[in-house]
Amino acid sequence: MLRKLYLLYGLLIVGGSAFAQYRGWSLNSMNQVHNVPRSVRDNPGSYRSVYNSYHHYTGGK
Amino acid sequence: MSSTPPPPGPPQKPAAKALNCPQCGAAITLRALGQAASVVCESCHCILDAKTPQLEILQTFSKAIAADRPLIPLGTRGKLRGADYEVIGFQRRGTVIDGIRYFWHEYVLFNPYKGFRYLTEYQGHWNDVTVCKEQPIVETRVSIPLVANYLGEVYRHFQTSDATTDFVLGEFPWQVAVGEQARANDYVHPPRLLSMERTAGETTWSLGEYTSGRDIWSAFRLPGSPPAPQGVFANQPSPSGGGARQLWAFFALLALLLLGVIIVTDFSESKTPVFSASYHLNAGEPKGEASFVTEPFELTGRTSSVEVSTNANVSNSWIYLNYALINTDTEQAWDFGREVSYYYGYDSDGSWHEGSQSDSVVVPSVPAGHYYLRIEPEVAPNHGFLAYTVDVRRDVPVPVFYGIGFVALLLPPLLYGWRSWTFERARWSESDHPPMQLQKSEEDD
Repeated sequence: MLRKLYLLYGLLIVGGSAFAQYRGWSLNSMNQVHNVPRSVRDNPGSYRSVYNSYHHYTGGK
Repeated sequence: MSSTPPPPGPPQKPAAKALNCPQCGAAITLRALGQAASVVCESCHCILDAKTPQLEILQTFSKAIAADRPLIPLGTRGKLRGADYEVIGFQRRGTVIDGIRYFWHEYVLFNPYKGFRYLTEYQGHWNDVTVCKEQPIVETRVSIPLVANYLGEVYRHFQTSDATTDFVLGEFPWQVAVGEQARANDYVHPPRLLSMERTAGETTWSLGEYTSGRDIWSAFRLPGSPPAPQGVFANQPSPSGGGARQLWAFFALLALLLLGVIIVTDFSESKTPVFSASYHLNAGEPKGEASFVTEPFELTGRTSSVEVSTNANVSNSWIYLNYALINTDTEQAWDFGREVSYYYGYDSDGSWHEGSQSDSVVVPSVPAGHYYLRIEPEVAPNHGFLAYTVDVRRDVPVPVFYGIGFVALLLPPLLYGWRSWTFERARWSESDHPPMQLQKSEEDD
């Protein structure tokens, strides 16, 4: 019983990994924005990125 | 030996014979129909010779012995292995190991057609025991018993001890005596236990099979519930049931299957370059709008991943890029920021470096369509000329899911194997052959 369960679980894992690969899933979290105005193409500055407030690393060792 | 045995008739309830104890006069019931060699008076506990009509006294006690009450009362009948048995005798035996006295109980069962069999109980662990019909073959090394072979099975030596009988009750097929000592060698092949007992007069081999207390209670229709087993017994079957090895075999198969899937998908991933461009940045130039958009490019095929790579010739500096991958058809955008930074130097520990001049990120599940990138670069205010390239590839492998899949496959056999290992460790730590680490720590103490 345990072997059958493990085999089923293993096939689900392998199949799930292959499906994730096929669908192009990624662990990266991406902010999705909808209804981006077409004018952005002509005026890129009109788009406000959510990452503008990022604090940059300026160090080194 | 040519005589045909009589056809087995329906089992008849054995008729008990009533006598009186010659020591105290208490009534004594003989249940084994003349097949018992000794009987113990339940009143004064003196041991009588059951083979003599007058029940000659074999052993008396000048002081009261510590009585023990059997969990299965004498005279209880039950069905074991398809045959009816009656409990006719009970004894408590003990042994001293490392100065600690351990006790266990043995029950004598009798069936007029099947003969005798025994039940042993130690801290809630039960064994159904029969006398061996054949002599097992023992392998020793420098007179230390290692294994015993019996009926094609190999039993590992578990323990050698000196067992002493210190309380008896009922009937026994041998002349029992309180204080009787025997050298016992136990060999295990779970769920079986092979025991050799050697007294001055004889050597007896018996074979026990681990039985749950619930089965005993059910067989003898005893009230209540059996005592809960404590610890791990010598021949107690492992809860993993030897399945850990089979689970590892399945793991190997599934890992191979996963490897096959990785190879197939890696070949089938198109990894198509769909966009590539070089840009430069100069902080010294007059400031204006930093953001710009790329030329449009098309992503084809099924919904799949998109990899955006950045290479910049940063040197002890950084560049940060606000990216937006924008679909011109659906007006949907994926917004993300990436930093490329690379620092190096030399100090008292020698040379060092950290970061990289390249970076890549995978945008998940991007549908087919027409896209462009909006890029907003930032650099350190004092930075001079900086060149960087942006590359976009479609349908790239994301190995992290295979890594997660591999770990997920590994976990069950690992946990199961660990459980099995700790169980066996607990089993053998009670033996004459404890696991090496235990033995070593004891030596250190």
